[in-house]
Amino acid sequence: MVVKDRRTKGEKAFDIFNVILMCILCAIFLYPVLNVLAISLSGSGPVLRHEVFIIPKKVTTNAYKDIIANKYIYQAYLNTIFVAVVGCFCSLLTICLAAYPIAFCDFYGKRLFKNMILIALWFGGGMIPTYVVMQKVGLVNSLWALIINVLCSSYYVIVLRSFFAGGIPKSLIESMRIDGANDFQILFGLVIPLSKAALATIALWIIVGHWNDFVAPLLYLQDRDKYTLQIVLRDIILQASGSLYEANDASRIQEGAMIIPAQIQNAVIIVSMIPMLIIYPFLQKFFVTGITIGAVKG
Amino acid sequence: MMADVNITSNDVNTQQLEPLVKNRPPFTVRAKKVFKKIWNDRLIYLMILPVVVYYVIFRYLPMAGISIAFYDYKILKGFSGSTFVGFKHFITFFSNPDFFKLLYNTIILNVYSLLFCFTAPIIFALLLNELRNKHFKKTVQTVSYLPYFLSTVVVVGMLYNLLSPTTGSINALLRSMGKDSINFLQEPKYFRPIYIISGIWQGIGWGSIVYLSALTSIDQELYEAAMVDGASRFKQVIHITLPSIKNTIIVMFILQVGNLMSVGFEKVFLLQQPTNYSVSEVLSTYIYKLGITNANYGLATAVGLFNSVVSLILVYFSTYLSKKYSETTLL
Repeated sequence: MVVKDRRTKGEKAFDIFNVILMCILCAIFLYPVLNVLAISLSGSGPVLRHEVFIIPKKVTTNAYKDIIANKYIYQAYLNTIFVAVVGCFCSLLTICLAAYPIAFCDFYGKRLFKNMILIALWFGGGMIPTYVVMQKVGLVNSLWALIINVLCSSYYVIVLRSFFAGGIPKSLIESMRIDGANDFQILFGLVIPLSKAALATIALWIIVGHWNDFVAPLLYLQDRDKYTLQIVLRDIILQASGSLYEANDASRIQEGAMIIPAQIQNAVIIVSMIPMLIIYPFLQKFFVTGITIGAVKG
Repeated sequence: MMADVNITSNDVNTQQLEPLVKNRPPFTVRAKKVFKKIWNDRLIYLMILPVVVYYVIFRYLPMAGISIAFYDYKILKGFSGSTFVGFKHFITFFSNPDFFKLLYNTIILNVYSLLFCFTAPIIFALLLNELRNKHFKKTVQTVSYLPYFLSTVVVVGMLYNLLSPTTGSINALLRSMGKDSINFLQEPKYFRPIYIISGIWQGIGWGSIVYLSALTSIDQELYEAAMVDGASRFKQVIHITLPSIKNTIIVMFILQVGNLMSVGFEKVFLLQQPTNYSVSEVLSTYIYKLGITNANYGLATAVGLFNSVVSLILVYFSTYLSKKYSETTLL
């Protein structure tokens, strides 16, 4: 109460203004998402008459039923899950294998190894030479290309190394060494169990990265049955064509089950967003050091 | 082990040559020691082996592959079947009448991003910091992070939704105000504002985290002292808050300058329409079309190399500057 009394009129006005501004901003953040949701759930009449904004009208889930029945979207969903899960596992493994020796071991060539990882943070071959290498290795048009593409990112190696070095006392490692444990036993028996929180955060980031990745699938995938969600999404919403409709769909329109593309487009957006909407509140606590290193990485 | 090596190398500097030869263990002994150390560490080498193999093939081979820029490269024939053409591709690119247009489009889009997408999170963080209700603050923060986690394709899909001349909400608003609807996505003059505004929408919440964490570390006694002196809250922001996060702002700004050339390929590519090529064609989309669509690998790599060299100079310059303001060291 004392604090409140001290506020001048101008400050009170500012506080009210600030709260209102933040509410407006929240509305702006949420509106596009709610709009997509509302359109995807509405009947075709209101959508055609442009009456749908935030609240769905003549609620129907036909668009979602249509999507579930569509084998291309189903396939794309499976492909994306495969890339995200397998990619996440492989990445975590290689990142641990790279971060552990840098944090805890002394060996000939350590400096070289560190520099090898650091230089890759700053400099890369660029789009075309990387594509040529992928093609030579025979990974073009394979889902593994997407996993390999970001497998052992220098950035996560650096983040994990700083967590290892700061979070796990070296004396623990030394005492395990004296007990005769080898480095693999120390890594998998001690270091990884102690870093579960950091690893979980990195894992979620890798999953988000794979889920939202558009460039790599655009470059490396050619066959429709290998497409990931983002590519199918682009075909459906930006080109309003392509992957979704096949010969059998013409017959469905004749049957009278009219679902206009706008609802399907928006339903696909929602379906592709759901995992991210579930994950993101858990990622809020992401350590700020990670963000600053991310900025350094550029 | 390393210590032993150091001592012997010090001997080289301080002692005469004669005793040095006597003191130093014979080469075979030293070699044995080195091999013993390597043999003891064999599990570590086994551990880093997959990482090294990966980096060599998928990170360093593409860097070597930049030499494609100097060849008339045919992917089926490889290097041995391709002719060396020197700087031909660079000359082709620089003498292209579109060269300055491409460069201008790339830089101007980034300069605008720097001006708006960089300052918006700072202002947002300052305003958030002034909120008195902690729960409300937390809620606003959580909501503001949401757009960051949406993929570019989804964001562009939402833009199509909002800006569509027939069904879009923005045009519905324009019509209700008695104006004609505008086909925002087709007209070149709206391309940059759309790119920037959607960029702010996506990044403002997430970008504010760094500043908010800097704000929490400010000593609260400074504010109490200022209040005793009768400083208004606006004055407190000007004289305490901003100076306290000045270094964070400078570091983030410099790092952004380093990014000036690396325009986000995805969003430009997805927002591109044949009608807005005049403003939306940037270096990265040009490279994609040359290399992947037209299979002109040599020229595309040359353009990419030009882009990397310019951005590397900027990165180097900006990290040099940022070292003055921060003690961040990697690895």
